[in-house]
Formats: sequence, C-alpha cells, structure tokens
Amino acid sequence: MKKKLSEMDYGEQGTVTEIEKDLQKRVAGMGIRVGKTLRMVTKQPIKGPFDVVVDEAETSLGLDMAGKITVEMTK
Amino acid sequence: MKLNTGERWDLIDRISKETVTFGAYQHTLKDAIGELTVKPMTGIPVAIAVMYGFWSVFGSFAGFFTDGFFVRLFDVYWLPWLQEVFPGQGDWLYAIMVDAGGFESGEFVLSSNCLESFGVLTSGLFVAIGVVLPAIIIFYLMLALLEDIGYMPRLAVLLDTVLHRVGLHGYAIVPTILSLGCNVPGVTATRILETKKQRFIMMTLLAIFIPCGAQIGIMQDVVPGLMGWILLYLIIGYFIFGYILNKIVPGKAPEFLIDVPPYRRPMLSNIGKKVWGRIAGFFKVAIPFVLLGCAIVGVLYQLGVIRFLGDALAPVFVGWFGVPKETAGPLIAAFLRKDLAVAQLSAITMTPYQMITAVVLVSIYFPCVATFAMMLKEGWKELLGALAVLTVVVFTYGGLIHLIGILLGVA
Amino acid sequence: MKILLMGHPNVGKSVFFNRLTGANVTESNYPGTTVDYTKGWMKIEGEDVEIVDVPGTFSLDPKDRAEEVAVSMLHESRDAKVIAVIDASKIERGLYLAMEIIEEGYPLVIALNMRDVAEDKNITIDADRLERILGIPVVSTVAIAGEGIKELVSRLKEAKPVNVDDIIANAANASDTESAADAGGAA
Repeated sequence: MKKKLSEMDYGEQGTVTEIEKDLQKRVAGMGIRVGKTLRMVTKQPIKGPFDVVVDEAETSLGLDMAGKITVEMTK
Repeated sequence: MKLNTGERWDLIDRISKETVTFGAYQHTLKDAIGELTVKPMTGIPVAIAVMYGFWSVFGSFAGFFTDGFFVRLFDVYWLPWLQEVFPGQGDWLYAIMVDAGGFESGEFVLSSNCLESFGVLTSGLFVAIGVVLPAIIIFYLMLALLEDIGYMPRLAVLLDTVLHRVGLHGYAIVPTILSLGCNVPGVTATRILETKKQRFIMMTLLAIFIPCGAQIGIMQDVVPGLMGWILLYLIIGYFIFGYILNKIVPGKAPEFLIDVPPYRRPMLSNIGKKVWGRIAGFFKVAIPFVLLGCAIVGVLYQLGVIRFLGDALAPVFVGWFGVPKETAGPLIAAFLRKDLAVAQLSAITMTPYQMITAVVLVSIYFPCVATFAMMLKEGWKELLGALAVLTVVVFTYGGLIHLIGILLGVA
Repeated sequence: MKILLMGHPNVGKSVFFNRLTGANVTESNYPGTTVDYTKGWMKIEGEDVEIVDVPGTFSLDPKDRAEEVAVSMLHESRDAKVIAVIDASKIERGLYLAMEIIEEGYPLVIALNMRDVAEDKNITIDADRLERILGIPVVSTVAIAGEGIKELVSRLKEAKPVNVDDIIANAANASDTESAADAGGAA
C-alpha cells in the first residue's frame, strides 16, 4: 500500500517510492531518496513538522514537504 | 562531468554496496531519549521543564553573586571609598566619573548606592561587572550545555508549529535564544533562515523584543518581582508583530527542514572554550559600550540636554505611555545604554504597572549600538526597514500596554 | 596552497581545524553557530598552507544563507584542495556531498570521521576499496582523539581532480571482480 509521508502514522515504516522533482535536491543532502527505508518517528500537532529516520539519520521536515514524498508501506 | 540527483544516488548506491556493510543496529538509550524528547506528548512537558530549569538556575545564580557579593562590594566598600578619594566633589568631572549626587534643600548629598550614583566608575563598573558578568556567565554556560548535548534542534522541532505562524520556522529559536545572551551573534545567526523575508522578520523581532543578557541581568536585579509580566509582554509582542510582519512583508516563508543529530555527551573542554570565547567577545563589546554610554549620558545630563529633551517629550511619555515625567530622562538615555536606563528607572517612584510599561519600553526601544552596527552589516535596507517597524511598534505597543492598564484599572 | 574543510554541520570540522592549525574554534551539536568561516595556517613540508573552516552544508544547492557562504567560498577558491569531512556512520549522505565536490573538479581527500561511532553502530567501511573506486585518498579518522590526522595531512599531496566516468567505471569493475571472486569461491 502506498501513502504520502504526510499521511503516515507514528512508528510506521516503508520504502520511499517517489519524491516530487522540486523536492529531490533539497532533501538529497539529508540522505532522503527513492529506494530508502523511511521510519516515521513522530509528527507535531496542528500542521507541525514530521520527524523521520532514514539510514539512522533523523530529519524533521514541514507538512507540505511531507506531502511530496510517497512511501510504500512495509509496517 | 556533472550528474543529476538521481544519477548521483545511483552511483553512491553502487559504491556503498561495494564498500560498506551495515550490521544490525541496536537501539540505545540515547536514541530512546532522543525520540521521547521530540514526540509532542512527552517532548513538550520536557521542553517546558528545561526552559523553567534554565530560568530558575539563571535567576538564582545571578542573584546569588550580584546581591550576595557584588552589591556589598560596590555599595559598602567601593562607592564610599571612591566618593572619599576622588577629587573635586560636586564639579562636573566628579559627577560623570563618580557620583552625580542629588540636592536636598540646596545641599549637595552623595548617593548611597551604585545604582543611583551614575558615575562611570561606580554605576558603570557595577552594572558591567557586578550585574552583567554573573548573568552572562551562567547564561552561556547553560546554553553551551544545551547546544553540545544536542537539545536545540529538538526544541526547534517542537516550536516549529508556533513559529511557522509568524513567517519563521522552528529553527528561528536558535537566533532567538542566542539573542538572549547578546543580540550581536543573534543577528549573525539569522543566516540559517532561508529567505530574505524570514531574515528580515527575525532580525526585526530580535532587535525589538529580545532583551539581551545585560538587560535581563539588570531587570532581574532591580525589578525581580515584575520580571514575569515584562517577559510576558515581550513574548506576546514578539508573536503579535511577527504575525503582522508575516502578513505585510513580501516574499516566501519556506518550511522547516533540519537534521536532528543524536544526543551526545558534551565535552567539557569544548564547553569551557566556548563559554570563555563568548564571554570574552561579549565583554569586548559590552564593557567599552557600558562605560562610554555611561560617560555620554553623564555629559548630556551635565549639559542639561536630557532635562531639555525630557521636558519636551514629557507630554508623550505621560499622555501616551502613562509613565511619570521623571522617566523621560532614562528613556532618552536608553538610546545609549538600556541596562543603565533600567537601573535609573528603578530609582524613580512609580506604580508597579508604570514600572512594567517603562521597562518594556526600554526593551523594545532602539537596539543597542553594537546590534545596530551588526544589522547594518547585513544590509542597510533591512536596517531602515527594521527601524521603521521599530518606531511603529514602540508607539502602538507602548500605547496598547497603557490601554490595557487603563482597562485593568491599574494605570 | 589553500585547503577548504567541508562537510555537513557537526561532523567535527572545527575539531579538525583546531588540530591542524592549533586554533581554538568551538563547535556545537547543531548547525548555526559556525555561520561564518574561520581561517588559519599550518606548515606542511615547509610550505605555509592556509586552512579554511567552511560553514557546514548538506549539499552544494544552498538552502540558506549560511550554506550559501559555504558554496560561494568553494567557488571563489578554484585552486584550493578540499578535505571532505564525512560522518562515517552516515556515509551515504556524506558521499553525496563529496561527489558534488568531485564533480566540480576539485582535488579532494575524504576524512571518514567518527569511525568509532560507526563501529558502535556496526557499520564497517572498506576504506581501501572506497579509495580505489573513487581514485582519491580516503582516511579513517577519529578527530576528537587525534587519530588519523597525521595520515590525512601526509596524503593531501595525492589529492587530484577525478573524472566521474572513471569512478563509474571503477564501481562497475569492483562489482565484477567481486562477483567473479564470489563465483570462484562457490566453485
């Protein structure tokens, strides 16, 4: 099942299948890319940012950006 | 040859497959704490506790050294001794350097403490060493700890939601907190924000609403009971005017994207060096400015300039801000030294609400000279814009605080 | 000669800088404190070398003003050598930045820093093999403890611009030889 990162729930995990073009470069430096396993750690209430872990590196990114990343759920 | 993002990752994938083996990763206690302090349910209470702890340690440490040691040293030993040995009691040099004193039924009387004497060698030194030094030491020590452990990015994540509403994002907490020590490095740190709009909003809010360590130290010393109210007014102002600026300043306010590093054990040598470097930096800026500011204010008093301006502007202060006429002098002196101005205010008789208004006014006033220079370095257009906002804010917010006082029946 | 120390925020660039120049630059566990660069000098084989501690950046596409400073420093120093300081426990995203610098034609040395942290996380890196693929010196370091710094300095002279095509070819060869070796082992 595929989901946007912005729709993922605490503790869910999956493989990144798509990142919208305009975001690819911005998150590249953080190690976030297609094919990587991504674990959602937490999200902040009231449209706050999302915390994800990729390759044991934690990144926090805003709601709009999270809506541009598609994840194939594995857990 | 250059690759695009996808090609580059493909290549790295291939290289990584050949050279790196990832063993099973064991989650550690550090990771668990890392997650607990970033999840809202647990992270927000922790953040409140950390901030409260920061504040209480700051207050008690600074109070302990200032009241318990420096006040005695300066008022009981230094001031009387200097009043005794410095030649020319009553003339202008004595007034500027040691004690401007006062006149009671035509008689010249000496001041009884270093907050009222307004001499460069008395008030100036007392404020710089007795009040500001302990405040700055404890502030930078605790900040260095939070920084080196790696707490700041987590605080940024937790605060992103609110800061996003004022056109900034969570990371704005870094320049904000740095500014609580000294606005100068705070202004430099605005560079971590993405767009011109964000940097302008941040710089303006810093210059107006964030009191520096010197100011906080002196407020804590002379009006400790009113601190809560003063800070509340400043925080509310930060958000109200941030919200308005976000609406009127053109440009983009991009979202938050940060790396959250793992916690780590702070290295004492790094903390020591950092605290020392920052204190030294602060004092290189602050001591000359405090002493020089004190001297200039003294000269202006002697020449009658401040009295003249005070009389001219008194109707504004009394009518619009609701503070007593006597505050005009300190409020004008605040252009040069905010910390000295707060000290001067504390010597004037007024109601607590008037004191709150006056101290808030001093805080949101013109930024200190060093900050001013730093902002100029970041761009003169930004500086002019910030000053325009500042003028509007001082009058509207000062008037608003007065109005609130009237409505509450305390002004 | 001029050497730029580049890498992500908080990978220990400032520690390297202090070790190399004897300076006293401090670091914090988050980006934002080194938003300006620091310069220092050291002697390598009798030659005075300028070392620059560049603000941390995640890529050469700057996302804020501090990263802009880093990128424009790189671009203004066309004749400089670069030491890319990489967090060994997050090697892939470190290599991303290193590749960007290689692609721009700079002579590069890679410092795989925080080797100890990587070991704790059960990550093992074959630095020799990485070096053969990339065609540039790769040195494992633990900067805080001073490990690997001397080797890094002694190998600076080997830094040279590399063609990305060569790296692609090397990577392909490496996997061929390995599968050949695997096949041999199986047979």
